[in-house]
Amino acid sequence: MTPPVRRDIVPEVLGRLGGDVLALVRNNVRTAGTGPAAMMFAHGFGCDQNMWRHVAPAFEVRFRTILFDHVGAGGSDLKAYDPEKYATLAGYADDVVEIGRELGLRDAVFVGHSVSAMIGLLASLKAPGMFRSLVMVGPSPRYIDDDGYVGGFTKQQIGELLDFLGDNHMGWSAAMAPMIMGNPDRPELGQELTNSFCRTDPDIAKEFARVTFNSDNRADLGKVTLPTLILQCSEDIIAPTAVGEYIHRQMPNSQLVILKATGHCPNLSAPGEVIAAMRAFV
Amino acid sequence: MEEDLQDLYENAPCGYLSLRADGRIVKANQTFCRWTGYAPAELIGKRLHDFLNIAGRIFYETHFAPLLRMQGFFNEVALDLVRKDGGTFPALINATERTDAEGKPQFIRLTVFNATDRRRYERELLKARDELKTLAATLEKRVAEAAAKQLRSDSALSTQREDAELREQFIAVLGHDLRNPLASISSGLHLIQRSKLDEQAEEIIILMQKSIVRMAGLVTNLLDFARGRLGGGITLTLSALPLEPVLRQVVDELQSIHPDRIIKTDFALTKPITADPMRIGQLFSNLLGNALTYGTEGKPVTVIAKTEEQFELAVCNAGTPIEAAAMERLFQPFSRGEVRPSQEGLGLGLYIASEIAKAHGGTIDVTSTPELTCFTLRMPLQR
Repeated sequence: MTPPVRRDIVPEVLGRLGGDVLALVRNNVRTAGTGPAAMMFAHGFGCDQNMWRHVAPAFEVRFRTILFDHVGAGGSDLKAYDPEKYATLAGYADDVVEIGRELGLRDAVFVGHSVSAMIGLLASLKAPGMFRSLVMVGPSPRYIDDDGYVGGFTKQQIGELLDFLGDNHMGWSAAMAPMIMGNPDRPELGQELTNSFCRTDPDIAKEFARVTFNSDNRADLGKVTLPTLILQCSEDIIAPTAVGEYIHRQMPNSQLVILKATGHCPNLSAPGEVIAAMRAFV
Repeated sequence: MEEDLQDLYENAPCGYLSLRADGRIVKANQTFCRWTGYAPAELIGKRLHDFLNIAGRIFYETHFAPLLRMQGFFNEVALDLVRKDGGTFPALINATERTDAEGKPQFIRLTVFNATDRRRYERELLKARDELKTLAATLEKRVAEAAAKQLRSDSALSTQREDAELREQFIAVLGHDLRNPLASISSGLHLIQRSKLDEQAEEIIILMQKSIVRMAGLVTNLLDFARGRLGGGITLTLSALPLEPVLRQVVDELQSIHPDRIIKTDFALTKPITADPMRIGQLFSNLLGNALTYGTEGKPVTVIAKTEEQFELAVCNAGTPIEAAAMERLFQPFSRGEVRPSQEGLGLGLYIASEIAKAHGGTIDVTSTPELTCFTLRMPLQR
């Protein structure tokens, strides 16, 4: 008998036969929820889609939630890392657009943490109509201070960070599980390691840090007219309050909400507050 | 001896820090104070950030704080603490987070280990690793070069095999999806033909029909090829129905799209034949299509069908003979390129035809001379 034809083989074959690998596979896209509208969550530098584990489920009733890993993080396809493409945030924004196109997204809500707030902003400019609104959690259009602009870091400090990453001794004893990513052929190593969330490939993370902390998207803020919610944490050393206020001033259709939560990851430290603010917005 | 727990806390061989949920220090032990040079009172209310350099702060915020929230702990995080005198204190830090019943963080406990020697050792290791890397790279390069040839041929083979499997699946899916639109185009054309058309439109329609017939043939061949390769082989639906009408229909079909060619037929089917009429039609269509495509224009294509000891179906055309070298590969799939360059098609037609012949217990023989090229199917009358 003829074996049944596998329809799901087509993307795989396209990939193998020289076509592009599907973004849905490359970026480890996970969808949940049944709502009529879609809400896409993007993680920032340092973690993966686990970042949203306390927030995304709250929106599964009203939304179809879409989570993914940037290339280099979590369950993404490390082979897809192309230093040229990902040398600017635009490369990451292209991925967001590709995911959106493969899922047929229209009028979705984009929720971006940290650097992904700007990635989402760029994606919304690349694909008009794909997103109807933006939620930015701890965003910053530029991390380095500039003439009359407070980014929170001096050029020298960012240089230190990048040197530090280049030294990579963090990767040695920090056990942020780079070994898991580095030894896919030895999964038993992974079981021994305790820090199993937020896996990132150390070499890619280094480049992602360089791109993130040298990015400057101030000129793009004014181009976006979508309703935008800026969630600003208290005492956030990565994205200080002055930065959130700056974005709010530059984006005419934005709301600024200052959270009681401290630090840079309110999606983990104060998910309730984040969810409440987002619900009021969407 | 009774252990003095108060003293154990204060002077333990590691530093202790207790943080509120908002990250502020509420308690630190003597060991930590000694290592960092601060008085206990100076630490209270400060954040861990205040003792980290900028890189450490960014890393803590982007990597370790999320980890702590997610799994309730982190282990062996390497951070450099900044001492009161501005010096660096390399540390390894473990942390646990205590949460309430609702999962809200209550407080965080940190254990800080002196990692000065370890850090030095790690640096040595890193240095050694880099040196080793350089050495290994040189060695690897040589080995790689030596092994490259062998490897290339080995891996190429297995990749080829995998690719072939995938390709066949792909073809099968595509074949299905290609047929439907083709059928709609075809029925649309038939509808248009019923209305009155001018001469030019008639010509165009004939051209379009020609393309559809060609395309349908290609799709059918593709599907059969994929199926054949998927292990099912060519399946037959045998019957004793007369074959002549089937053959005539194929001739009419191809004649209608090659109106300027002459197809001579000599049918003498006097004995009953058990066969799959659809398949025989497909085989014949492939042979006749080839003859019309490759045969010299202006010279007739001859078809002879007869039943003597066995069923014989010969399709002959005049034209450039097939080279002896090409003859061997003629019935291999995708062989068109080597056989006749610059012709359209996938090179599946003859492969499928020979598979159909085989399924009927028959063969296809080729004779090719400067005068005449003939493809002859011979198969038993009864199965």
